[in-house]
Amino acid sequence: MRRQMFGRTKTAVATGALLALGLAACSSGGSDGGDDGGEGGTLDVWIMQGTNPSGEKFFDEVGKAFKEETGATLNVEFVEWGDAHDRFVTSIAGGTTPDVAETGTTWTPEFADAGALAPLDDYVSEAGLDGDLVEGLAEAGTYDGALYGMPWYAGVRSFVYNTEMFDKAGIEPPTTWAEIESAAKALKKEFPDKIAVAVPGDAEFTVYPWVWGAGGEVATLDGDTWTSQLDSPESQAGLEFWTGLAADGYSSAGATTWRETDVLDSFAQGDVGMAVMGSWTPGAIVEANADMEGKFAAVPIPGQDGGIAPSVLGGSHLSMFNTADDKDLAFEFIEMMTTGEFASKWGEQSGYFPGQKSLLEEATSSTDPLVAPFAQQFVEGGASVPVSPNFGAVQAKLTTSTMMQSILSGDQDVATASKAAAEEMTSLLNGGS
Amino acid sequence: MSSTTTVTAPTGSGHQPGSVGGRLARKSVLARWRPWLLLAPALLVLAVLLLWPLIRMGMFSLQDYGLPEIVSGEANWIGLGNYTEALTSEQLRTVVLPNTVLFAIASVVCTVVFGTAVAVLLASLGRVWRVIVSSSIMAAWAMPAVTGTYVWVWIFDADRGVFNHVLQSLGLQDQPVNWFTDRWSFYAIVLLNIVHHGFPFVAVTVLAGLLGVPKELLEAAEIDGAGPWRRFFSVTVPQLRQVFAVVVILSTIWDFKVFAQVYLMPGGAGSNREVLNLGVWSYVESFGQNRYGFGSAIAVLLTVLLLLVTVVYVRTILKEEEL
Repeated sequence: MRRQMFGRTKTAVATGALLALGLAACSSGGSDGGDDGGEGGTLDVWIMQGTNPSGEKFFDEVGKAFKEETGATLNVEFVEWGDAHDRFVTSIAGGTTPDVAETGTTWTPEFADAGALAPLDDYVSEAGLDGDLVEGLAEAGTYDGALYGMPWYAGVRSFVYNTEMFDKAGIEPPTTWAEIESAAKALKKEFPDKIAVAVPGDAEFTVYPWVWGAGGEVATLDGDTWTSQLDSPESQAGLEFWTGLAADGYSSAGATTWRETDVLDSFAQGDVGMAVMGSWTPGAIVEANADMEGKFAAVPIPGQDGGIAPSVLGGSHLSMFNTADDKDLAFEFIEMMTTGEFASKWGEQSGYFPGQKSLLEEATSSTDPLVAPFAQQFVEGGASVPVSPNFGAVQAKLTTSTMMQSILSGDQDVATASKAAAEEMTSLLNGGS
Repeated sequence: MSSTTTVTAPTGSGHQPGSVGGRLARKSVLARWRPWLLLAPALLVLAVLLLWPLIRMGMFSLQDYGLPEIVSGEANWIGLGNYTEALTSEQLRTVVLPNTVLFAIASVVCTVVFGTAVAVLLASLGRVWRVIVSSSIMAAWAMPAVTGTYVWVWIFDADRGVFNHVLQSLGLQDQPVNWFTDRWSFYAIVLLNIVHHGFPFVAVTVLAGLLGVPKELLEAAEIDGAGPWRRFFSVTVPQLRQVFAVVVILSTIWDFKVFAQVYLMPGGAGSNREVLNLGVWSYVESFGQNRYGFGSAIAVLLTVLLLLVTVVYVRTILKEEEL
């Protein structure tokens, strides 16, 4: 039933003319059935599907609370991550954007650059939230000196390992790169048919920690000009180490074309000893294979000689579109979602960390062995990819994955592949093609 | 239907004929326009759904059209810049075009040959077996491209795939091999996928043609001493020329436009630059980066290429007909 209702909403949005009708018919969670949207009007919101397993129930609750507080009806439409970018672009073109939408952190500068988003600084100050937003996320949502993306939630990738395999091989979780290598060696000896450490070829966010951990950079901004540093000696040392694990046979041939979902699948099957995985994956691992419960743990990604290697804070903003009729109402919703009760509840349900500093501190004091290491990584080793409207182009061109695959398949060495990738990234970040 | 009557009605009531000559003139005008009036609704739909998007695509291809232009709605003409960029691209020349064209040729040949072989098999089967075999090949045809592609990906998966497992148990390879990283093995898998998905159409169409070949001709050839191969190539194939023309043209168009079957393979979405084809390349280079003008230019080039191929085929067929 629900599915049908959302399907109808989609068509309505697409045809535009039927918009009002569709909203009236499909308002979700409204106690009065939403005959005419009520006196408070209707707020259209797009939320990405799949982040929170019980997202629909969550938004039923939010809708009720929102109606009570503002009198307006909340109309939430769930959008698949995979389709979302295209749908945003077509709706921007057709002027049918929602009032508020969840935007991936790397998209916010792109849509802001296109002039589709409304700046939020004044609203944030008015709400007294200045200085209470998680910095890495606020930075990613800032374009041209103005805040366009309200930090909502973020996750971080750390080093996840199979405790059962570690116990059998008699090893401790690694804290330096040398220890990773010796752990991989011990695991390979004990489990010759399993993957000691998964080095995936098509998962860019599992690559950058090794670049940063060796003291390298992905790209640096000097004035208006970006320069990719993937081919600096430090970055190359990091890449050499990470891909070297595969060259030494500790990964697998199949991993050359793996994405993060493939890593997750294999880890959940108990076939992988160590892997770089996100703070949101523990739930998914147990869901895929209940036998894995209690058989894995996490540590922050080790730096080259100890310490923590930085890892990308990936997550979402809530952005307000310029097409929003009632911008105050739109921000009321944004504030409701990103601060206080609903923000921490969302974090708990989805396995992500909230984007409000005061809430984050609460979450990071957790002692849960599958939360604490990620929280430590989040606070002490969080980093951002280059904040540029063109970084989406780098991602779309799979620059980093191309480099990884050509190294892992043995087509190119680290020096050649990283040089080509750096050239391409520099050109794309500066608006070339 | 209803729109046709409303269009014709005013014409009839507006001019009351006064003489025989007037009636004749009116009749001939009406007769001349009637086909167009009857076609009007369909043509209108085609114009809105096909012609206008085509014209827009042509217009976009002459602009540097990105997200800012979409938001502002302003045109940004750059002449033939997109075409120059596409045609002078080294990647197009060394990777994309060879992959697209050679793959299309290989898959059309394989699909048509295999499909025809299956059709001949079907024609020689009894009723029960023909139903059984044709329904099983229909299953291959009915399978969505995405589902089919994932099945092939699983079969050739490096660590858990059946193919590597068999090779290893037979002792033909020691270590698992990732078949998706090499250009040739990658396209061999795509070829299997495309042929598997495409041959049922050829088989069914050619079967319909085969059943229409007059028995007397074949019997006469047999009496004259022609063997089965000779009978097939000298009697049956010439009779099926039109059927083959349709099958080859359609397969060519489909196989030039292969997208999902490459895009969904590991590394096929652009991280393995060796295996890019025209469809994936235009998607990654333009739409992934909001360069809609450039993407349109590539689409125009692909359309022109396919039109040329079609024109050549149709001309050849028509010429042979005249002879």
